[in-house]
Amino acid sequence: MSNVGNKVKVKYFGSEYEGILLESSDKNMHLLKLTNGYNVGLPRKGSKVEVLGKANLGLKANTLLITKNKSLPNVSLISTGGTIASHVDYKTGAVHPMTKPADLLGKIPELKKISNISVSAPMSIFSEEMNPEHWSKIAGFVARELNKDEIRGAVVTHGTDTLHYTAAALTFALEGLSKPVAIVGGQRSSDRGSFDGGMNLICGVHYAISDIAEVATVLHGTSSDDYCIANRGTKVKKLHTSKRDAFRPINTVPLAKIYPNGKLEKHNGYELRHSRKIKVKSKFESKVALIKYYPGMSPDILKCYEDYKGIIIEGTGLGHVATTTWLEPLTKLIKKGIFVGMTSQADYGRVDPYVYSTGRALTNHGVVYLEDMLSETAYVKLSWVLGQTNNIEKVRHLMVTNLRGELSTKSHPNAFLY
Amino acid sequence: MNYGTIGLKAGLEIHQQLDTGKLFSRCDSKLTKDIADTKIKRKLRATTGESGKIDIAASFETSKNLDYIYEVHNSNTSLIETDEEPPLEVDEEALSLIYTVCRLLNCKIIPFIQIMRKTVVDGSNTSGFQRTCLVGTDGYIETSKGKVSIESVILEEDSARRVSEDKNSVTYRLDRLGIPLIEITTAPEMHDPDHIKETAQKIGMILRSTGKVKRGIGTIRQDVNISISGGGRVELKGVQEIKEIQKIVDSEIERQQDELSMNRKVGGEVRNVKADATSKFLRPMPTSARMYPETDLPIIQTNFNKLNSIKLPELISTRKERYLKLGLNEELSSMIANSARSNVFDKILETEINPTLIATTILSTSKEIKRKLKINSWKFPDKFYFDMFSLLANSKITKDSLSEIMERFTKGETLDNISKSYKPISDSELQKIVEKIVKSNSKLPKGALIGNAMSELAGRADGKKVAKIIEELTK
Repeated sequence: MSNVGNKVKVKYFGSEYEGILLESSDKNMHLLKLTNGYNVGLPRKGSKVEVLGKANLGLKANTLLITKNKSLPNVSLISTGGTIASHVDYKTGAVHPMTKPADLLGKIPELKKISNISVSAPMSIFSEEMNPEHWSKIAGFVARELNKDEIRGAVVTHGTDTLHYTAAALTFALEGLSKPVAIVGGQRSSDRGSFDGGMNLICGVHYAISDIAEVATVLHGTSSDDYCIANRGTKVKKLHTSKRDAFRPINTVPLAKIYPNGKLEKHNGYELRHSRKIKVKSKFESKVALIKYYPGMSPDILKCYEDYKGIIIEGTGLGHVATTTWLEPLTKLIKKGIFVGMTSQADYGRVDPYVYSTGRALTNHGVVYLEDMLSETAYVKLSWVLGQTNNIEKVRHLMVTNLRGELSTKSHPNAFLY
Repeated sequence: MNYGTIGLKAGLEIHQQLDTGKLFSRCDSKLTKDIADTKIKRKLRATTGESGKIDIAASFETSKNLDYIYEVHNSNTSLIETDEEPPLEVDEEALSLIYTVCRLLNCKIIPFIQIMRKTVVDGSNTSGFQRTCLVGTDGYIETSKGKVSIESVILEEDSARRVSEDKNSVTYRLDRLGIPLIEITTAPEMHDPDHIKETAQKIGMILRSTGKVKRGIGTIRQDVNISISGGGRVELKGVQEIKEIQKIVDSEIERQQDELSMNRKVGGEVRNVKADATSKFLRPMPTSARMYPETDLPIIQTNFNKLNSIKLPELISTRKERYLKLGLNEELSSMIANSARSNVFDKILETEINPTLIATTILSTSKEIKRKLKINSWKFPDKFYFDMFSLLANSKITKDSLSEIMERFTKGETLDNISKSYKPISDSELQKIVEKIVKSNSKLPKGALIGNAMSELAGRADGKKVAKIIEELTK
């Protein structure tokens, strides 16, 4: 029935179009690739299709010969999906995850000069589909790779939408991290000449062979292709929907600037590479919520969370909600043993319960103020902490203790709008 | 040269900028000379096309591994031009304009238009591709040597402007990137340079007839495809002056003949036309492998009802005929028909003022004044012409004062204010003034008397009337 992939001639109202029939997402339209390369659509109604023969439209996979260079370090690349591992489906025109991650290496030949890269793909999903189960799976995978003596570091490719959540999740789940883990994404797809993920991957691999034993996001530092910034996985947020340099450090400065030629400028204190094994603590509690408070918001929403184990409220300013309506229902939840933490919707800065009476009332009733922790990080951390313990006193203690650089007592003077 | 025996076959590819906003962003399509607000430095990498092959033309460019520096001006550039944001839907005005052009070129229009990405890796597009779509096919124009087929009419984005380069980098300005371009490709049906010239001029005339194409240097670019018997097709890029076509074609024919006589392969390349009419190798001819769908934009469905209701503009050639009938001479008719002010002229014609006076005022007087005052970029607003001729039609100013009025307006006075000085005086008042001059200078010859009177009247009276009064007084 289907003539897709055939060479055809389509007659439509006295016009003739010759080309290859493509798969059309619209049932009322024939989609045709003309010999000059242009795609055109013709209404099915009124068109006559004449098959001329079979077209040669097979996508030839790049058969990549990976030869190991013994003088280069070994890096494990773990592909999870997203733009950086997407390709255009030329039949439908849609963007799909790459199924063969080796394709990625074919596109960026420079990588082979920096390290021997082994590629694995535990999953291939868009980042908005990520959930705590995926975090666990990736953490287990990364730890297994890094615990191999010959592997110097790991690069995880990830869709950018929730890349910073996964970065925080891996930071908590990989206890005693001994080697670098770069999480890399791309804001432009790999089909274009302006693919930004190429430089991000190159810099990610440079990071993976460095001595910084931390989980960091590695993406463009500016709109130019000049350097990437490595940001600590717990202190980074996607601040722009589409720009290359969307990932910015919050309440801190980057761990390092990394240039594609391998130059690494360090800007912050970091954990040093060591040789002890990593312990994976990859259990995350799923009954955890992140709620953004807005003026006029009814506390009724809290009723949905009565069987949850913890809630992060992204409050206003220094960490406030309308106590007139919210104090009572919040106190009720806390009394049931649910952890309630407070962060701010002002991305930068620190929450403080003592400046206004609102904050004092909330903290007095058991709301925990989470210092300068990012809301997203607080959510991931709470999910992880509750995965490790159910003891609410321990949870309250761990949430205000700095475990992985997610919380600092000193506010960096040059961190704002870095 | 005997083009017949040589077997010359030539086709044209004409690129014309449209005078609308940018094609896929809502930015103004204005060029600038200002210092850039920001600069961005990028690299481009070779990509595998739809067919799994890296396009030859594309890989040729990436092999140079240059840095591309982009000058960003906030006045005409958005994140779309810097390749930091997905494109917006196609500019409505540009789309409607290309439908108009398709109809003027007797084309069949594509029912569902898919915007494509054409891989370009010389850095002239920040994305690494040019957005382009096929809108019309299978048209024709009439010429003195018969019909010339129009193979395709394409709507696409213009590239960024190359402003400088050195060994390691090329600098582009993003002001031009995204300006809508119409690309018209003819079949290789021209067999001598005169015919190429005529066809190019006719297509240019049709485009200008829409009144919505950009004018001036760089706004229209012509490429010529040339082949001779025994050789393949060569594309000559950047023919600036169509008048030079004879020289360019001849020199290319000679080059191809030389190559063929040495048993070298001819064809499959793009060459850049140089100032001396010879050409220089630019890159291999691109293949269709460099084209794949623009996934960030939906397919455009042609609305045939709307398309057929578009009112077609009067062709400049038809307009010129109309002006000749009004009594304008050949040169003026042609000039005003081609002018961007022809619509202003048409509107002022309704006042029934002498057409030649209107045309010369708009075309020449304005230029003379600007030359005298050394002003280049400024233009008389359309409204000024409407208002000034309306004053003249209502006898609020005199015919002889137009030039002075225009000069004072250019210097910054308002028309309201200026016109007060050029009110025509009544016949009886004029009689009195002239009588007084004649009486006190009775010994002067007639010519001098007229001169004195005219300068005293400072353009407030018609010269013929003054002469007539003096004639009678000195009888």
